[in-house]
Amino acid sequence: MEPILDKGQKRRDHLNEVYVEVDSADFRDVCHGLFIKQHALLRLMFATDEREKDGLFRIYVVFTVPGSDAFTIIVLPMKEDVPSFPSLTPMIPAAHWYEREICDLFGLVPEGHPDPRRLVFHEAFPANAHPLRKDWSISDAEKQEWGEGRAVKVPHPFLEVTGEGIVQIPVGPVHAGIIEPGHFRFSAIGETIFFLEPRLFYTHKGTEKQFEKLGFADGVKLAERVSGTSSFAHGAAYCMAVERMMGMEITEKAAAVRTLVLELERLYNHIGDMGNMCAGTALAVGYAKGAVIKERLMQLNVRLTGSRYLRGVNVVGGVTRDVYAQADDILKTLDWATKEYKDFMQLLTGSVSHMERITNTGRLSRDIARKLGVTGVAARASGLPDDIRKSHPHLLYDRLIFEAHTYEQGDVFARTMIRAEETECSISMIMALMESGYKGELAVPLKTAAPYASALGYAETPRGSLFYWVMADRDGRPLRVKLRSPSYCNWPAVPFAVHGNIVPDFPLCNKSFNLSYSGTDM
Amino acid sequence: MLKEIFKNVFTKKKAIPFPEGFDVDPDQAVKVIDFQRKIDTIFHRSLRIRFVDAGSCNACEWEGTALMNPIYDIQRFGIDFVASPRHADLLLVSGPVTRQMELALRRTYAAMPEPKLVVACGDCAMNGGIYQGNYAVTDGVGNVIPVDGHIPGCPPTPTAILLGLSTIIDKFTK
Ligand code: SF4
Repeated sequence: MEPILDKGQKRRDHLNEVYVEVDSADFRDVCHGLFIKQHALLRLMFATDEREKDGLFRIYVVFTVPGSDAFTIIVLPMKEDVPSFPSLTPMIPAAHWYEREICDLFGLVPEGHPDPRRLVFHEAFPANAHPLRKDWSISDAEKQEWGEGRAVKVPHPFLEVTGEGIVQIPVGPVHAGIIEPGHFRFSAIGETIFFLEPRLFYTHKGTEKQFEKLGFADGVKLAERVSGTSSFAHGAAYCMAVERMMGMEITEKAAAVRTLVLELERLYNHIGDMGNMCAGTALAVGYAKGAVIKERLMQLNVRLTGSRYLRGVNVVGGVTRDVYAQADDILKTLDWATKEYKDFMQLLTGSVSHMERITNTGRLSRDIARKLGVTGVAARASGLPDDIRKSHPHLLYDRLIFEAHTYEQGDVFARTMIRAEETECSISMIMALMESGYKGELAVPLKTAAPYASALGYAETPRGSLFYWVMADRDGRPLRVKLRSPSYCNWPAVPFAVHGNIVPDFPLCNKSFNLSYSGTDM
Repeated sequence: MLKEIFKNVFTKKKAIPFPEGFDVDPDQAVKVIDFQRKIDTIFHRSLRIRFVDAGSCNACEWEGTALMNPIYDIQRFGIDFVASPRHADLLLVSGPVTRQMELALRRTYAAMPEPKLVVACGDCAMNGGIYQGNYAVTDGVGNVIPVDGHIPGCPPTPTAILLGLSTIIDKFTK
């Protein structure tokens, strides 16, 4: 990266994070250089309101260059009276949602963004609402104005596809099954999907603002409630960020517990997801079988941690429970699960109707996946070996032997097979972890954060890479907590994957990505 | 096998069988059986539920989904989740009700035929839970539509949802 960045910019290193401050004239060139010449991945992008420190807003763009553990973080400071920055989206499509989000939450405008519509906020929110600005607040009178009345007055400008034979099919936000809310606008020719525009953020709960209220230690509880099925990974990534910011080292024991439970989480999710995909192909027996294995694994979760969603284990500084004490139970349940899982896979691969339906359905090309910054299972199924466990070894992952599994096809079949291979991999990782003993306390005491200290935390959830970035304010309380769930990167890819498929295959494609709405909407 | 079927059909059912893996203690088991009786008598073996996620973290509605897996198998009680509010007797709502879901929730409620019950599922739905006081949430289902009962828990387990419903549907008989 040196040639582009070596222009005497302000540079600050913290662990594996390299912060480089640039001005707005260089901002685009530096970012484009990283993305295009060095094939860097855009991991996340966010704004902060640091006006209490030096009167500036800042934009942070986090890149990683494949093959390196370092995070290159480009920082663009911005004065309050010129609240705009050059948009990266025209060259780096992965930036498009981040920039619209920054515009909604902070009122900082991405100049030259090809799609300047609002993203996070719907009609219910007034146009001047920028809740992550520190000086923003709402009066009760303003609150009254929100909601029902406004929603009807200003309809959302959906992208329209017109032409002979094109029909619009609006679906949601409340769907037929028990799933999360989101609106889908299909433009179809007969049964074939020509264009899909998802409209999300119905479940926007102001999570990032809530983090600022809670304080660093209590934030874990909220992190665990961002996306239920990845509760543990969220907790672990959040704790990691806070620990790195405060300069805390967790013990080997705590790291071992976190690694093990992360894999347990992946296990129940992957098996459950493969079962759910059967619901999309009407293979009822497969669905039932997947659900039973998932349920038993979740009951193991209760016995180990007291929560079906593995909540309450992570704390800043370590963990609250030593799950290794119940090694027998884990081994016994895994033994059972492995056997059942083998039957289950035989059933899936032996069902011609299922296999035919998933092959070639919902293809996502490698090129689009890279440009949109797709992550996790979806990226690996499209040939991108993106796995945070491998590329940025943390916890005990550097001691375990595993590969980032990839497939080239990018279809539902590939996403199923990635999950299948990772299930087996997770089982053997858990077994390997239980072979040795680990030293140390469960948790180390909490430290305080230095003023304006910041750090990244990350984890590989069952869906893909997850990032937290935290910064303390003058008094060591949270100034900013940014979270970027894997679903946030993968949602924009869904319309590309379903293009040219038939409408009845949409649920199947959607399930194969298995994205969290809550994690995306924050 | 035939003998078994014969026995099952002609003997009066005393207890519903709990499939392997259904985690209940004896105390809860009594309640579950009582629940079965209520569904039989009050709803003629047919209680239809519409589940609406009004901003949950998705754990609550995965627990709802779990109720339909072969272990809990809620259908054997005569309960089913339906696709349309027009077919529903009971509205089960999870999440703190975000500002952006408020309208959809109101409309779902309005589309249900009378008599109808509304149950708030989970701590969030009760009072906003951990999201309480945020600019983007309305702090609970009760602030948007009339609520008949709450099921506490974060998330409530499938068994807790089952037992919670059992208590709340008593209102139908009053
Ligand atoms: S009650 Fe808990 S589990 Fe349910 S939606 Fe709220 S945070 Fe999630």
